[in-house]
Amino acid sequence: MQYRLLFHVACFISTCIHAQTAKEIVQKANDKMRGTTSQVELTITTVRPNWTRSMDVRAWLKGSDFSLILIQAPARDKGIAFLKRKKEVWNWIPSLERTIKLPPSMMNQSWMGTDFTNDDLVKESSIVTDYNHSIVGDTIIDNRPCYIIEMIPKPEAAIIWGKLIVCIDKKDFLELHTKFFDEDGKLVNVMNAYDVKTMDNRLIPTRFEMIPLEKKNQRTEMIYRSIKYNRPIDDVFFTTEKLKTVG
Amino acid sequence: MFLLKLAWKNMWRNPTRTSITMVAIFFAVILSILTSSLREGIFDNLVKNVVSFYTGYLQVHRYGYQDEQILDNSFEATPSTEQKLFSEKSVSAVTPRLESFALASGDNITKGCLLVGIEPEKENQVSFLKNKIIIGEYLNGNSKDVLLSEGLANRLKLNVQDSIVLVSQGYHGATSAGRYRIAGIARFGSPDLNEKIIFMPLEAAQEFYGAKGMITAYILSLHTTRNLEAMATRLAAGLGKDFEVLTWSEIIPDIKQHIQTDNGNAKVVQGILYMLISFGIFGTLLMMMVERQFEMGMLVAIGMQKLKLMLLLALESILTVLSGCLLGILASIPVVYYFRQHPIKISGETAATYQRFGFEPVFPTSLDAAIFIRQGIIVLIIGLTLSLYTLMKAMLLNPVKAMKK
Amino acid sequence: MIFTMAWRNIWRNKMRSLVIMFSITVGLFAGIDILALYRGMINARIRTVIDAEVGHLQIHDARFTQDYDPKFIVSNGPEALYAIRKLPAVKAAAARSVSFGMLATATGSSGVQINGILLEQENELSQLDKKITEGNLLNNARKNEVLIGKKLAKKMKLKCRSKLVLTFTDTTGGIVSGAFRVAGIYQSANAPLDERNVYIRMVDMNSLLNIGASFHEIAVLLKKDDALPSTQRSLEQLLPRYKIENWKEISPETDLLVKTTNQLSFILMAIIMLALAFGIINTMLMAILERTREIGMMVALGTTKIKIFLMVLLETTFLTLAGAPLGILIGWMLTEYYAKHGLDLSGMGREMMSSFGYSTTIYPEFPSDKFVGVLLIVFATAIVSSLLPAKKALQLQPVQALRR
Repeated sequence: MQYRLLFHVACFISTCIHAQTAKEIVQKANDKMRGTTSQVELTITTVRPNWTRSMDVRAWLKGSDFSLILIQAPARDKGIAFLKRKKEVWNWIPSLERTIKLPPSMMNQSWMGTDFTNDDLVKESSIVTDYNHSIVGDTIIDNRPCYIIEMIPKPEAAIIWGKLIVCIDKKDFLELHTKFFDEDGKLVNVMNAYDVKTMDNRLIPTRFEMIPLEKKNQRTEMIYRSIKYNRPIDDVFFTTEKLKTVG
Repeated sequence: MFLLKLAWKNMWRNPTRTSITMVAIFFAVILSILTSSLREGIFDNLVKNVVSFYTGYLQVHRYGYQDEQILDNSFEATPSTEQKLFSEKSVSAVTPRLESFALASGDNITKGCLLVGIEPEKENQVSFLKNKIIIGEYLNGNSKDVLLSEGLANRLKLNVQDSIVLVSQGYHGATSAGRYRIAGIARFGSPDLNEKIIFMPLEAAQEFYGAKGMITAYILSLHTTRNLEAMATRLAAGLGKDFEVLTWSEIIPDIKQHIQTDNGNAKVVQGILYMLISFGIFGTLLMMMVERQFEMGMLVAIGMQKLKLMLLLALESILTVLSGCLLGILASIPVVYYFRQHPIKISGETAATYQRFGFEPVFPTSLDAAIFIRQGIIVLIIGLTLSLYTLMKAMLLNPVKAMKK
Repeated sequence: MIFTMAWRNIWRNKMRSLVIMFSITVGLFAGIDILALYRGMINARIRTVIDAEVGHLQIHDARFTQDYDPKFIVSNGPEALYAIRKLPAVKAAAARSVSFGMLATATGSSGVQINGILLEQENELSQLDKKITEGNLLNNARKNEVLIGKKLAKKMKLKCRSKLVLTFTDTTGGIVSGAFRVAGIYQSANAPLDERNVYIRMVDMNSLLNIGASFHEIAVLLKKDDALPSTQRSLEQLLPRYKIENWKEISPETDLLVKTTNQLSFILMAIIMLALAFGIINTMLMAILERTREIGMMVALGTTKIKIFLMVLLETTFLTLAGAPLGILIGWMLTEYYAKHGLDLSGMGREMMSSFGYSTTIYPEFPSDKFVGVLLIVFATAIVSSLLPAKKALQLQPVQALRR
């Protein structure tokens, strides 16, 4: 009897600890993927019922305010670059030698034909500060024990989701699986991460896929070819002038 | 047979009387045809004007395009598809379009726009694009020039011969970007289109969007716009489940809405007109019976059965009303035709408003044969129903009293 | 003498007189009611546009209407608003912040016009409170609530209390967004507008746009429609640097449809009058045919032709005078009845119509200003129509007429 009570107390304490650390777990996972800065080379593949298309992309990221994305292949799109600077997005088109600022009317358009929208590039929401987190269980993904964390957006945060369920590796804090729900609890998107490898001395998943459930046989896949973390990048790098020369 | 002969003779015995009755019917037919034809003509004309803005009467898309208007819902333009469209007799021309949203940029300013690839000559038959040009020239099928709407040109501060930069999301996720010369600037009646549309030859657009041979819609030109729904159903059946066929009322439901509300009104008006017509015809018949009282009294007095008399009157009425109706229908054809060729001109403020939309400020009539037949039959029924009065009068006839005069 | 003869003639054939009298009655009441019906329909549309959509006049910075760039606020907005309110012709004026952007949910997005409003002003100007069909109006004490149109709600599968994100550009061209909860769903008579417009509190809007207490638009409602041109002129003098537009300029489509309908009503009126004229002419012609003997007799007895002409004319006049008041009475009563209860024209396709939010019930309005005109037209029609039969009467040869 006493043992059982002790067991209950232990469980209670452990959930308390979990509640305190849920945010920290997400924070750690986020820091792990992003670093203070990152430079990534990746291949993005858009899969549609009757066509598939791959792009080679280089990206420079710094905090949530700055990012620069350069398309390297296919040849038709080579040199096209996107700059996100705080709340603005610019698009450089080398064949025209023109920089175009994306107006808000274009924000809901798909970005380069993928399952991401232009708006996804601009969104400033942070999975750490814009949500309330709690641990709701645990599971095993690819032989890795994971926390299941429920993330509910804070009321004032400009987030369309009703709820996120995130699975984070307990040992290495890898975000391996995310479910995006709308407010009625309907599952809208699923994101999976695979191929955990060491890159730039970090153990990270290197293949991601985004599946919109409403659309059959449709998904977007991203494969990291290389990544460098925490190399200092000057703010000046993220300017429209740099955009023109980076490619 | 004898009665028929007698009825015929009676009609000619007093041509003035017969012609007055006939004229009453005659004008009733002309007036109701004119009202009906004018009403339909005005709204047909409104629809014609509105669909010539852009939509056309019928559009063929790949199934699902109407709900999700993206390039991935485009389809390949093949001669066999076009052939199927022409199997519908009313289809006079088939115009392909490839449209999607793009960013248009002048020197500094960037705006979202609707970029449409067209076959210039064919397109002109649907939307009379050539007439809308205010500066510069119309597109040439092989060129890589564009036609800009006036509002967009003003916003981007661009003029003819300037170059414009277009950027968009192409077919299958390709990026589309290009620099084009502005061949002409066109003014559109619809304020909405005037602010956002750009036309480009189809081949250039297909190249721009990376969608070789693809189009998003066929716009159908028609010989007749009657029975559109049935036409759409037949076409859809012929094309199979990969395609959808839409009528203008599905594409722009608000105009349809207004016309339907107005039709309700028009029915009340038509009702009032029938009422007036009835009074006119009834008055005429009434006086005719007064005038013929003596004659009828005489006929009964010399031994004609009342039933026969009634039959005689019925035959006379049928002959008079029928010929009145037929003559009315015949005579209304040139009248309606005249008002078609020389439509009522609107003046003043209304005309100014019409012109602002690029409409000709006229109220034409409709030459739809159904109107003539329908109105003819309605007046025929009114006339025959009212003729029952003459029969009733004959039935109640008191020969002595009738001849007393 | 002719007077009494005409009077007696009327009573001699009561049926004929009644028919002509009733034709006049019907003609008059038809004229009145057609005008009333069309007036009612046009008014309904104009009232919707003015009272529930744009107001009589709207004031913007001229540059704002070109590109809807949110940096072009109405400069000295509060002062301008105060000055406008002081004009005697102005019934209400409401300030709005306006931006074009995107509404997004977890499953989709749609382009919208976002209106930042002051609730009391907006209710007075566009009767927003009366359009709410589900949920509640915005609550002044609650942050980040939004009102959306029924059509948009259906398209985006939104319900009351659903969350959505609005994204638009701020004054520096940067992109801002905020999460909003649907407080209520509104429905106006104009479904396409409902699909495009969402309403949020001006405070929420302005804090996202970062424009303090300023705004982009002043909508003005006048006490009387007639005051529009003069008020527009005086506002143009009062606020020379602003762009001042009336509802016809803002909603030219409504103007077009209203004017088409208006013109159509006059043409129909003309046709109705023609029908009336033919009815009278035919009846009188037939009457004269019947009276051939009688007229022949009169001529033979030495009545001058002019007198016979006058007699026929007088008969018509009497009948017109008798029929007219009845026509006016019926016309007026019908109009009044339907003005109170509404004339439902939905007949067919009610489902479809109401799903578009169109009102199919028309409240006719007695055309008091056109009333004298209608009366004159009917009288003139009656008199002119009696001329032909009267002339016909003159042509009768007494001998031939008597021979029967």
